[in-house]
Amino acid sequence: MITFRMNGLDVKAEEGWSVLETAKFYGLEIPTLCFNEGLTPHGGCRLCLVEIGEGLKTKLVSSCTYPAEEGLVVRTDSKRVWAARRMMIELMLAMAPGSKVLQDMASRFGVTQVRFTSRNKECVLCGLCVRMCAEQMDAKAIGFQKRGLNRKISTPFDMRSEECRLCGACMYICPVCQLRCQGPNAEGVLCNGCLTMDPSCLDHYDDLQCWMYDAGRCGTCVREKT
Amino acid sequence: MAGKKKLRIQDLAKIREKTKSLMTIREGEGRARVTVHMGTCGIAAGARDIMDALLDEISKAKVQDIIVTTSGCAGLCSAEPMATIELKNQPPVKYGDLTPEKIKKIFVQHILGGQMVTELVLAVGSETVY
Amino acid sequence: MKHYRAHLLVCAGTGCVSCGSFKIKEALEKEIKKRKLQDEVQVVATGCNGFCERGPIVLVQPDGIFYQLLTVEDVPLLVEEHLLKGRPVKKLMYVPPDEKQPVPKMKDIEFFKHQRLIVLRNRGRIDPEKIEEYIAFDGYEAMGKALAEMTPETIIAEISASGLRGRGGAGFPTGRKWAACAKEKRTPKYLICNGDEGDPGAFMDRSVLEADPHAVLEGMVIGAKAIGAVKGFIYIRHEYPLALKRVEIAIAQARDNGLLGEDILGAGFNFDLEIVEGAGAFVSGEETALIASVEGKIAMPRQRPPFPAQKGLWGLPTVINNVETWATVPNIIRRGADWFQGLGTESSKGTKIFSLVGKINNTGLVEVPMGITLRDVVFGIGGGIPKGREFKAVQIGGPSGGCLPAKLLDLPIDYESLTAAGAMMGSGGMIVMDDKTCMVDIAKYFLNFLQDESCGKCVSCREGTQRMWEIVRDITEGKGKESDLPLLEELAQVCKDASLCGLGQTAGNPILSTLQYFRHEFEAHILDKRCPAGVCTKLIRYVVLSEKCTGCLSCKKACPTEAITGSLKEVHSIIQTKCIKCGACQEACRFEAIESQRDEAIQVI
Repeated sequence: MITFRMNGLDVKAEEGWSVLETAKFYGLEIPTLCFNEGLTPHGGCRLCLVEIGEGLKTKLVSSCTYPAEEGLVVRTDSKRVWAARRMMIELMLAMAPGSKVLQDMASRFGVTQVRFTSRNKECVLCGLCVRMCAEQMDAKAIGFQKRGLNRKISTPFDMRSEECRLCGACMYICPVCQLRCQGPNAEGVLCNGCLTMDPSCLDHYDDLQCWMYDAGRCGTCVREKT
Repeated sequence: MAGKKKLRIQDLAKIREKTKSLMTIREGEGRARVTVHMGTCGIAAGARDIMDALLDEISKAKVQDIIVTTSGCAGLCSAEPMATIELKNQPPVKYGDLTPEKIKKIFVQHILGGQMVTELVLAVGSETVY
Repeated sequence: MKHYRAHLLVCAGTGCVSCGSFKIKEALEKEIKKRKLQDEVQVVATGCNGFCERGPIVLVQPDGIFYQLLTVEDVPLLVEEHLLKGRPVKKLMYVPPDEKQPVPKMKDIEFFKHQRLIVLRNRGRIDPEKIEEYIAFDGYEAMGKALAEMTPETIIAEISASGLRGRGGAGFPTGRKWAACAKEKRTPKYLICNGDEGDPGAFMDRSVLEADPHAVLEGMVIGAKAIGAVKGFIYIRHEYPLALKRVEIAIAQARDNGLLGEDILGAGFNFDLEIVEGAGAFVSGEETALIASVEGKIAMPRQRPPFPAQKGLWGLPTVINNVETWATVPNIIRRGADWFQGLGTESSKGTKIFSLVGKINNTGLVEVPMGITLRDVVFGIGGGIPKGREFKAVQIGGPSGGCLPAKLLDLPIDYESLTAAGAMMGSGGMIVMDDKTCMVDIAKYFLNFLQDESCGKCVSCREGTQRMWEIVRDITEGKGKESDLPLLEELAQVCKDASLCGLGQTAGNPILSTLQYFRHEFEAHILDKRCPAGVCTKLIRYVVLSEKCTGCLSCKKACPTEAITGSLKEVHSIIQTKCIKCGACQEACRFEAIESQRDEAIQVI
């Protein structure tokens, strides 16, 4: 057993567990997008960031890929983590504003503006479909191509792949292209239709860490959105 | 030169000794500097043969730190072929009317032995090569 | 080999080769043969001398005379005068800027005088394609010592005691890395030499591999003994053909001589090396991405831990070090940790190679002790800024390093000071900028590089660098908003915080450091729609100053788009719609009558 601290609690993890798995086991919610229990972790969406370390030498790591280590000190919801998560949501929303998953996430984390021009793509390159195809469907029909701005997911040479059985698993698991946001402003970049409350605890108790539940979502310290 | 044979640790030192003798010149330092005067007059009088003989002697003697350079006419064309020998911390010595035999003698006696070959000396001191 | 009275050391580093040094070598050999000097004079091709600004370079030993900027036409004169008649040729020697007298000897030239050569000790001295010449200058001595007299523990102890830190960028203590890998039980273990040098304007690794490939090999054999590895890989970019060729030759020669392969030097130790050619992705320089690339996968970094020392190549313990680090190792083993300890500063030991490029007189490669100030490098060795212009900034640490302004010129160069100032050691690229450089444009350039080279895995890095680049691009085009600067800062900070690998974690530096030291330039672009350095073409406007114009027509002739009107002895004017802002008119004008960016320039619409 590995013992480490998470949000001030001593937690125990099995050998080989990730920080995210441990958090889930203890009922601490960490938001994820490119993570799925049936697939190998990717660590691309950076939503599951947690802050590790103590004092001045802390850093953010993706909890889905970071292994539980003896003596680790983890904080799942600090100001720094929230700032990074909010920016990730904003960046991904600017890529694919139609996604209900992302729109909901924006409301949950109080992302109320998108300061970038929309790309209107229907992909945030989370790689769920690639891993689904390879690991669960055993087809390996699609994969990542190129890098940087040109990165995309496609079949080899962009041609119809013999490996693809048209099973549709890639679309099933996609957080962006299937579920559409039906809210009032879904045509614009940001809907925020479900945004009715706002966590205020972070402003006051950043360092204390809400151990009752994960910060901002327990409902005890929210204020009505004005 | 190292062959296809696998080297042992002691072989490294041997190669080092052997090659280094040919390469210390690249460090630009030596115990003696020999200047063979190779102006038109010198070459006409046979300075090339002197140079060949000298280089031959140096490689036969397996000494490493002798610098051989050339210079232009030294002004005393009648005494060509000429050579100037500069040992470390000693004034330069000029020899004139050289032949390959004479330069061999100078090499052995003066450069290696440190004793001037007085009967062949033309002048001592003065001129230095920059 | 026989005794030659003179050695002509022709620089054959990539810089000189591209200036035609192989042609010079051929011409020299031909001319020497013609003069029947072939038995007296030897011509040798060496690795890069570092003074690339002055290539092609020939050094004549034993005289130590340094010839520069040679052409094939100079060769007959050089051979006749210097080699035959013994008169060094003054007109081919180096003349320092602002001086008239040439400096004949290499060791007297400012550029070389202040350097401390350890890793580059054989540069310009040996033929990198001949193993005997490397051995002649104590080559493979350290390897012999390590294999015959030392145990893995003593080797690691020596490296740890020396304080050597990785030269690839992060500066992780090499001894600690080796110890962690040596501790691992699983075998086989691997070594990797990281030669994937991709920073714009950096050529340190390239030069080391070209000038002294055996030093890298020797270092790797010592490392192999220390951690118990049986196989090593040297990862070199495909874009470095000369380095690839020389390392290939070096490996073949070492194998032939029993210095690689089975039973090395008869000491009962086996180790072999293989070259892996990189495909050119910048991110491959990140160690986990490089390992993926060696395995044949896309170069994409992965989470550490587990570190490569525990789980590296094919999941087995692997030590991965930079070219320069490996080349430093034999020197430490041969001369001892105490000697190495004596060089450098408290936390950064030894020497570091920098490639000095940009607006600087002496472009080239320099090796200096750690702790030397930026001023000594830029003005001492580098000879200052050309044309007497003013120094503005130096960019250190590759694309994700930072730009340091003139007020930090006295900063000592070591890992900690550079990081604290917002730059980083990186692999050692140093780009010098003068007052004609626009810092916003520089930030745009590096962001463009980064957004293109980001592997695309993390949202923070892929989208973050792209968005930062878009914003900065808009600023240079006059479309900047006041809210852009805080947004840039926020993005840069998040990109640093949230990204997985070193590329993303430092991708915010170009923005953060330029914003820290040159915020006023960003503000000038955004608020005044003005580029103070006159670089961003959308923000400048060339005009003729009527009081200075003599009507000489030279600007009119220089203009490629016929945008200038006016006849002889008449004040000219520029048709703005036709002007492509190339600046040719400004260069052509002898009366400083053409201005960009002054107030009068902006007011004229």
